[in-house]
Amino acid sequence: MPAGEPILNNYLIVGALLFTFGLVGFLARRNLIVMFLCAELMLQGVSLTLVAFSAFHGTWSGQVLAIFSLALAAAEAGIALALFVVLFRRGSSLDVSLWQDLREADQPPVPDESAGDEKPPETSWPHLPPAGVLPQDAPEPNVHAHKSAPPPEPIGAEAAGRKHA
Amino acid sequence: MLDWLIRLIPLFPLIACLTTLVLGARVLREKSHWPAILGCGLSAICSLALVFCVNSREIIPQPVRTVPIYRWFEVASREHHAGNSVDQTARKATDDAGRLPDNAAWDRSLEVTIALRVDSLSATMLAMLTFVATLVAIYAAGYMHGDRGYWRFFTEVSLFVFSMIMLVLSANFLELYVFWEAVGLCSYLLVGFWYERPAAAAAGKKAFVVNRIGDFGFAVGVFLIWTTFGSLDFEKVLSPAAIAEVGAKNPAMIGWICMCLFLGAVGKSAQFPLHVWLPDAMEGPTPVSALIHAATMVTAGVYLVARATPLFAAAPEAQMVVAFIGGFTALLAALIALTQNDLKRVLAYSTVSQLGYMFLGLGTGLMTGISAAMFHLVTHAFFKALLFLGAGSVMHAMGGVIDMRRFGGLKTKMPHTYWTFLIGALALAGFPLLSGFWSKDAILSAVHEAGHHSASTPHSSAAADLPESSSTAGDTDSAHSEQGPRLLGMCRPCLYELLLWMASITALLTAFYTFRAFFMTFHGPEKIPPEAGHHAHESPSVMCIPLWVLAGGALALGAALDQHTTGMFGRFLDWAIPGVYPAQQEEHVNAFIMGLSTLLALAGIAAAYLMYGTASTLPARLAALAGPLTRLSQNKFYLDEVYSALIVWPLKALANLSRFLDWALIDGLIVGGIGKLPGLVGRLPRPIQNGLVQFYALAMTLALGVLLWVLLTK
Repeated sequence: MPAGEPILNNYLIVGALLFTFGLVGFLARRNLIVMFLCAELMLQGVSLTLVAFSAFHGTWSGQVLAIFSLALAAAEAGIALALFVVLFRRGSSLDVSLWQDLREADQPPVPDESAGDEKPPETSWPHLPPAGVLPQDAPEPNVHAHKSAPPPEPIGAEAAGRKHA
Repeated sequence: MLDWLIRLIPLFPLIACLTTLVLGARVLREKSHWPAILGCGLSAICSLALVFCVNSREIIPQPVRTVPIYRWFEVASREHHAGNSVDQTARKATDDAGRLPDNAAWDRSLEVTIALRVDSLSATMLAMLTFVATLVAIYAAGYMHGDRGYWRFFTEVSLFVFSMIMLVLSANFLELYVFWEAVGLCSYLLVGFWYERPAAAAAGKKAFVVNRIGDFGFAVGVFLIWTTFGSLDFEKVLSPAAIAEVGAKNPAMIGWICMCLFLGAVGKSAQFPLHVWLPDAMEGPTPVSALIHAATMVTAGVYLVARATPLFAAAPEAQMVVAFIGGFTALLAALIALTQNDLKRVLAYSTVSQLGYMFLGLGTGLMTGISAAMFHLVTHAFFKALLFLGAGSVMHAMGGVIDMRRFGGLKTKMPHTYWTFLIGALALAGFPLLSGFWSKDAILSAVHEAGHHSASTPHSSAAADLPESSSTAGDTDSAHSEQGPRLLGMCRPCLYELLLWMASITALLTAFYTFRAFFMTFHGPEKIPPEAGHHAHESPSVMCIPLWVLAGGALALGAALDQHTTGMFGRFLDWAIPGVYPAQQEEHVNAFIMGLSTLLALAGIAAAYLMYGTASTLPARLAALAGPLTRLSQNKFYLDEVYSALIVWPLKALANLSRFLDWALIDGLIVGGIGKLPGLVGRLPRPIQNGLVQFYALAMTLALGVLLWVLLTK
């Protein structure tokens, strides 16, 4: 039995605990950001285990893999957080069960019993103006009007209209 | 020179058919009748020349002349090709004794050559056929004038004449079968000529389907002939030596072959079980009814049985069946014709009845009977074509109306039609000295003779003439004469005695219904239906001239050819079927039969005059008296209904069942079921795709747990 085994055991226990917390959190929570953090937790648990084994065996391959997974996690975080922003804009909520629409077409929706009848308050959020509109012609920033306002006309059409007038 | 004469006969109508087919619609149009008339006319001239050539032994010394056209196909077994067998086949083919090759040497080869075979039988048929066809073509030029399918009509008529000529000139059974089907096709096309009318289309279909039944029998007969005789050539199959050889080995086989061939003849010649198509075929144009369904095509069955006489001579039971079916049909059709009100239908049933007479003559098995049947065929062609063309002339004038109750008293309006129709009706009724009298009398005396002199059956006399086969055939014949051939439990003389009475009653009925139609149409107060319009006058001369020519034939042909006067016909046909029958010299005038038939004809005409020629209430009272019988006759003995119930409806039900099975079982269960199966299987796991991310994650976790557990506890 190698000498570093008790220390390895400690690392492995911590890694397994991290993975388990992450897994339980991922399954139990519905907030997208918390779920994402839990997924990161699982990833870090696995990374820790890899590094521990690498050190125990005296090879580099586990550590190289851990570096790779870190880079991957960073990219994943960038994409996932951007998606969360978009989803939040559309649903005004971070509850993942709002997005059951991707089920089979003829399946009934799973009702959300824990949420109660109370709907979350209607709130509106600041948004960036659409790209491609001349700054001086941009409509007044009206936070409530973005749904009913007509879409801004393209630049060429507006310019032609002004010349005509 | 003579070969070219023979080749020209079918060539002219073929050229006419092709010319009209190619040029008719665009170039010839209203002149489309010229190729048909010229083709048939030239062909008729050649045929008449041929008859005289055949009739004089100086020009054709042998009774049969065969002109090969081309070799259609040849099937030979392997050993046939292996040896130097080409010479052998040549020798076999020219084996003039006509004996079959030994069974061991017979290697099931088959060689079919399209050839034109002329003997006096086919020459007679040819002359009658082309002559009547020419007259009908001339008549049709007037009758069909202005029809939309004018050129189509003459194309199909020319095709028919060509096919019929080839049928008559066939040199083997397969060639005969091919053109048998070809005339059936032309009949179908011409019956359904006015295909826009549903009745015409249905009649064409019926004619075709009913003929299929008969043709099936004919086909089986041809197969049997090939397996039994190893050849299809008339030359070999109909030679007495070959028949005696086969009869010695397998006596029943000849009978089966005869019955199969006769089934084909029954279909084509509209005899009892299959006669139902002919009256319906009257939906076609009247010249077609005259040419195809009275004079020529329907006599193909008679021709077939006459051609196969050597075979029938070896099967006395088959001959009795032929005679019985013929006599029964003659009586049945005459009974139906009594009450029909459609002029063309009366004539159609009369055709069926007269064809029954011909089969009766053929079935006597005597040389006189066969020549009487062919004689009746020729005279009947003339007077029945005449009657049909006369009916067509009436129909032309009456604007298409053919129901005899709706017109009457046309005597003064249409004098030519009146006189020619009268001649035709007298000939059909068997009025003394007209053609029908002679031929019908010949048939009746042949039946009489068969009933009384049955001791000398033709079989024994034929067998006695053949030295090689006398022992074997004589044995079978003595076996026959011990028990005597029986049909329906009747001995041969009893049967022919019965048939003589049936034929005599038929003769009486024939005279009656013919003159009933005649008096209803031409006598009594003048009645013209409103459809006639300005047409109600005599037909143009292009239609009247053929009527008069045919009337001449109906008047004189019988006396010119009968054995009691010139005897041309009997002499003529003796040569056609050499070797089977000795040329019979007994030329006694059968006064009893002659007196009987004269009496019957006069009685029938007189009865018709009493009932329909004078304004009398007799017909109505008689009809009321014999109510059920009248209804039976009016409804054609309910035969159409019986066939409908026994055959048509079960078949329709079967078809519906098949359709249902196809729809439910094949399409629904098998094809559709297999198609639906993946969908059904896919429906099972569909609920787990519920869109909840946690559910997916849980499923993955659990699956991972199960996997780990399996891996770790192994």
